[in-house]
Amino acid sequence: MVFLLLALVAAPAQAGQADGGVGAADAGEERGQPGAPDGGQDDEALRRELEKALGKDAAAAGQAAAQPTPAPETATGGAVPPVPLFRGAQSFNPDISAILDTEGGYQRRPFLFPSGDDPLLRTEEGRKAAGFTVQEVELAFSAIVDPYFRADVFLTIPNLTGLEVEEAFGTTTSLPWNLQAKGGSFRSAFGRQNGQHLHVQDFTLRPLINAAFLGLDGLRGPGAQLSWLAPLPFYLTLYAEAFSLHAPDQPGPGITLPPPVASFGGGGTQDLTYATEAKAFFPFGDAWSVSLGVSGATGVSPALFQPTDTGVNVLGANRRSYLVGADVYFKWKPPNVVSGYNSVAWQTEAIWRHLDGSADVPGGWDGGMYSQVVVQVARRWFLGLRGDVLGIPTSSSLGRTLRASTSITFQASEFARVRGYVQAEHASSGPSVPDVTFPPVQPGDAVAAFLQLEISIGAHGAHPF
Amino acid sequence: MAMRRFALLAALAFAAPRPASAALRVVSSIPTLGSLAKEVGGDRVEVESLGKGYQDPHFVEPKPSLMLVLNKADLLLHVGLELEIGWLPPLVLGSRNPKIQLGELGNLDCSRAIPVVDVPTTRVDRSMGDIHPQGNPHYWLPPANAKIIAREIAQRLSEIDPAGAAAYQKNLAAFNDRVEAAIKKWQPMTAKMRGVKVVTYHKSWTYMSQWLGLREIGYLEPKPGIPPDPDHLFRLIQAMRAEHVQLVLAEDFYNLNTARLVAEKAGAKLLDLPTDVGAKPAIKDWFTLVETILKQLSSAV
Repeated sequence: MVFLLLALVAAPAQAGQADGGVGAADAGEERGQPGAPDGGQDDEALRRELEKALGKDAAAAGQAAAQPTPAPETATGGAVPPVPLFRGAQSFNPDISAILDTEGGYQRRPFLFPSGDDPLLRTEEGRKAAGFTVQEVELAFSAIVDPYFRADVFLTIPNLTGLEVEEAFGTTTSLPWNLQAKGGSFRSAFGRQNGQHLHVQDFTLRPLINAAFLGLDGLRGPGAQLSWLAPLPFYLTLYAEAFSLHAPDQPGPGITLPPPVASFGGGGTQDLTYATEAKAFFPFGDAWSVSLGVSGATGVSPALFQPTDTGVNVLGANRRSYLVGADVYFKWKPPNVVSGYNSVAWQTEAIWRHLDGSADVPGGWDGGMYSQVVVQVARRWFLGLRGDVLGIPTSSSLGRTLRASTSITFQASEFARVRGYVQAEHASSGPSVPDVTFPPVQPGDAVAAFLQLEISIGAHGAHPF
Repeated sequence: MAMRRFALLAALAFAAPRPASAALRVVSSIPTLGSLAKEVGGDRVEVESLGKGYQDPHFVEPKPSLMLVLNKADLLLHVGLELEIGWLPPLVLGSRNPKIQLGELGNLDCSRAIPVVDVPTTRVDRSMGDIHPQGNPHYWLPPANAKIIAREIAQRLSEIDPAGAAAYQKNLAAFNDRVEAAIKKWQPMTAKMRGVKVVTYHKSWTYMSQWLGLREIGYLEPKPGIPPDPDHLFRLIQAMRAEHVQLVLAEDFYNLNTARLVAEKAGAKLLDLPTDVGAKPAIKDWFTLVETILKQLSSAV
């Protein structure tokens, strides 16, 4: 197992050092092998010196793994007349891409607040698990529809469990008055991480607040969104959204730990979930930027599921829930990369929730947050550190859960990365609702570690800031 | 098309002479395109660039503040050939500006009339590095291409602002005359460069090599976008020694330590060159940009 993981890490590192390639090879082939005027010993010394210099330069050695540049075969020479695009390039097919996230890993116990796209090993309650999983396969299709719309479809297969529509929506491109509308099934603009797909995350697992407050798959579903870019001297966009959400499934037999209380998806067939967001952005010079967001959402909570020996107790169904969120994203990245490929991004997000009381469960507040720092220490290397906390300040439905995680990411190219991820989790108890007894989480302290490979093929659109 | 024609007719019908205060807002992805727009637009345009001249144009941060700039634009100029594919599309969508969306009058892909080189003639995939299926996008330096870009911009400005068509044509003619004069002035420098053997960091000097008759012997990147590795550099240095390569060319946003070492070991000279207006404070337009490059090149051989 360890050997396999090592092999996985080594492969892309090797690839980066792979064959000499185009430039020099061209010259060599065309003009015969150049002599080695300095003799074998000098050659060895030169090689060693090059290796040393590149090692020293690793942070800054060359330009990005992702430079779009021309094919090498036509080097210099006379003007090449424009070649008509071959038929494939002129088709009206959408951009199509597939993204794979796969890993080997270890878990001391199942995750308490698993997001739908977290890696799922063969876990059983209270037992260790080790092995492999395919965390997600994403299929993406996007294209401009006509002069008025563009469309994006993202299908996902999380943990090989079946095809889901992660998002499928149309976006207007020509509404007046700085308006933009979105319709279909999509991720809400609530907070910062909720709108992002798995491959944009800097860590293998999503933050705890995602599943705890926004839902197993985050706040996403069929709905409509209207957004407005305010005509101000700084960037401010306001969003209004409505969704029709379904309640999560009740836990199956044999489960003793209750799933997190869902914020949305309960109530009648005409109950919608509403959300609104404001996002502002301030650049400070070329290198520094700050992005701020506040979000609110309200819907109907389906219930708290209490597994018992004989089945499941449904507590507090149809309570109204209110979510308030705040997020800040701070980034330092010099525009001129000659000084090195260093950057720092700090991201913090908090969500507070109020659930109304009902006959069987009292109402109350709970909340959670995470804070993460990702530092680009060299051109291809990123280090991340994140802390999560749930159940603050006190909680009517969540036990206090703490998590610390770290990630180290090697980016072989824009299209492939390998990530090592380790987390330690402390859960003091399960949900704590007055008059209702839940079993404690066993064991309270647990670690998990993953080695993740993320690769992307095809044409995948650029991501927003 | 019918819509566009209707829009044009409507614009013509209602177009009053543009007051000077209501200048057309031109936003360019890289400063050189904006600078060329200023040449042909004169006082009728205000120009702003999203990327900076000292920045690698492949990697501009898609900051939301740039959406605000695009929100008010009448015309967006971009290099095309997927140079800006990693950052421009989400900004254009987020700008909520119908005028500059793809396919609209206010969206000009400046590569439209450029004789593009390095268009792959065989099947390509990413094992070749991050190659460019539509051809080499680093085309804005040679005079012939600058004239093509200026012509395209003048034509597009005339469509958006018909009242200024005569002014744009006049400015374009004046620009072309200045380019011809510059070519004559630069002749002693350009003549010196013919046949000079060079190695470049990235394959971004091809159009200049074509114009000046430089002979590109190799590249520091083993494949486009893939960082140099010792084996490749070793072979490159051997080839450079055998070919008596005189110059190593690199843009100033690359880390130049590796390039310096290669140049030193191969007995060549490293030139750290600008490729965009604004790369250095003194480089204020296309003319000073090209002249700066030519001076550096010609004084090194």
